Amino acid sequence: MSAATPTASPLAVTIVMVEDDEGHARLIEKNLKRAGVFNEVKHFRDGTSALDFLVGAGRAEHRPLLVLLDLNLPDMSGFDILAKLKADPQLRAAPVIVLTTTDDEREIRRGYELGCSVYITKPVNYETFAQAVRQLGLFLAVIQVPPTP
Amino acid sequence: MPMTKTMLGRLSLLLMAIGFAALLATGAGLVWLVESTRSFAGGVTSSQVVRVAAGQVLALVQDAETSQRGFLLTGERSYLDPYLAAIEALPRELPELTRLIVEDGGQPAPPRLLAEMVATKLQELAETIALAEAGQLDGALAIVRTDRGKVGMDAIRAVVRGIEARAAARLDRRSEGLDRSGRQLLFGAGAALLLMLAVSLGAGALALRYTRDLEAAEAAVRSANAGLEQRVAERTAALTAANDEVQRFAYIVSHDLRAPLVNVMGFTAELEAAVVPLAALIAAADAAAPGLVTAEARAAVAEDIPEAVGFIRSSTQRMDRLINAILRLSREGRRALQPEPVALGDLLAGLAASVRHQLEAAGARLEVAPGMPVVHSDRLALEQIFGNLIDNAVNYLDPARPGRIVLRGRVAGGQAVVEVEDNGRGIDPRDHGRIFELFRRSGRQDRPGEGIGLAHVRALARRLGGEVECRSTPGIGSTFRVTLALAAPDHPAPIAEEPA
Repeated sequence: MSAATPTASPLAVTIVMVEDDEGHARLIEKNLKRAGVFNEVKHFRDGTSALDFLVGAGRAEHRPLLVLLDLNLPDMSGFDILAKLKADPQLRAAPVIVLTTTDDEREIRRGYELGCSVYITKPVNYETFAQAVRQLGLFLAVIQVPPTP
Repeated sequence: MPMTKTMLGRLSLLLMAIGFAALLATGAGLVWLVESTRSFAGGVTSSQVVRVAAGQVLALVQDAETSQRGFLLTGERSYLDPYLAAIEALPRELPELTRLIVEDGGQPAPPRLLAEMVATKLQELAETIALAEAGQLDGALAIVRTDRGKVGMDAIRAVVRGIEARAAARLDRRSEGLDRSGRQLLFGAGAALLLMLAVSLGAGALALRYTRDLEAAEAAVRSANAGLEQRVAERTAALTAANDEVQRFAYIVSHDLRAPLVNVMGFTAELEAAVVPLAALIAAADAAAPGLVTAEARAAVAEDIPEAVGFIRSSTQRMDRLINAILRLSREGRRALQPEPVALGDLLAGLAASVRHQLEAAGARLEVAPGMPVVHSDRLALEQIFGNLIDNAVNYLDPARPGRIVLRGRVAGGQAVVEVEDNGRGIDPRDHGRIFELFRRSGRQDRPGEGIGLAHVRALARRLGGEVECRSTPGIGSTFRVTLALAAPDHPAPIAEEPA
């Protein structure tokens, strides 16, 4: 589900969201907008199509990217995608925000070891979830994403 | 047939008894032979004595006759000395000869006959000598010429020869008997030796067979043991795999259940947010055109939707707590234990201090009895076990009486046993097993909780190689007894899960 916004400039950060759960994706988008984040969001429902877009053959020159990554995907683990992103010279510097249902510290540690920037647990309580996404929006607003060469 | 120890003992005893019997028989035979030899020697002597005595009697009679002849020829009285000596000695010698012959095993008749003959002979001699002394030499010579004396003498010689011959025959018989018994003993001893040899060989064979049986049995036991160990290892592996499967299952279930819950809660919040402008619209419409807004529409926005949202939210929150509880149990099961020496006395004192404020508020006392054991176990797990039990004891005190909680510990049967005893409200006996199940609670539900604590306690106690059980009487109090391995089993670190 992509939503190009009128305010997105050619050099603005594109958000790549890899999330198999439609509901989660919709909630993330809505809350991002509420938090004032209007960047373009490219939504992929599985790991294969996301990897195809990100590191597949014949990919376009990427504008600055930010990846929102769910770990629980039907066809692969989000960690696989994370590892491939961090192994790619062009995308290595792109920030990756891992969003998942678990707060298992071993998974969190593994996520950071593989190079994710932020690890956010999807909360059930709506308030905390909205707050988390809003913080994510603020994070996106202040982060200096180096333009990819 | 495999030989038992009892059988071996009995057979060995039997063989030994046979050997001893043979030895005893040989010994007895030897004693008997020695005795026979001795009596044979005695027999030889007595036969000789008989022959000498018989010869002596004959010599005396011959001396008497010779003396008589000399006297008759010369008329000199000095020639009568041997005769006088003979008639003096013969009454002694003859009964002695009879006695000796009887002793030697001979018949008493021949010596008696001899005695009669000697008496007759001596009678003849006495008659002739008396006639000669009376001066009737011719009468005496006439008697001699009758050959009465010569005939008597010949008969005496014949009888003496017979006595001697029978004595010699008895000696020969004895000699033969001795010879025979010696041979018999030799054969007997040989047979006994053979028997003992056979017994020894038999005992040796028995021992050999028994040893072989033992070795075979030992080998069988060894292989059975090896098989047993392998089976135990297989079962353990199967159990570990099953346990891992359950852990994985709990982990996946709790993750996958949580994902839809995020949606339910998220969109519930969206609904709630959507109601806000609707409520504003209703309020505005109410103000602008009071007749436009129906009571149902007003109630829906003001009461029904907020109420529905409220129930959805409380239910999902509860569900989230339950899922988190499962997740926590699953994680606890996967956590690698780190056994270390833990003084339970210190650990429990620390836990008691952490509930001091609650105890003071409830006017209750908590006592840690001295003599708590030291275990080699996982400190965190122990803290969780006893923390839960102490929290329960404090939470479920009976306000009707001053609360008293006592912790006791000891080592029994190679295990540490710790009891948490309270005088609280107690638990219905029906629920004693159920309270350790996940999400199950007992009694009045007037305390916060999800029914997780005791399930957690039991899972932890089992992981530490122990168990927990409950004794309780409603209205009197409860005692939770935790048994722990003195040294917790060394679980390998669980295999890292793939993220779900």
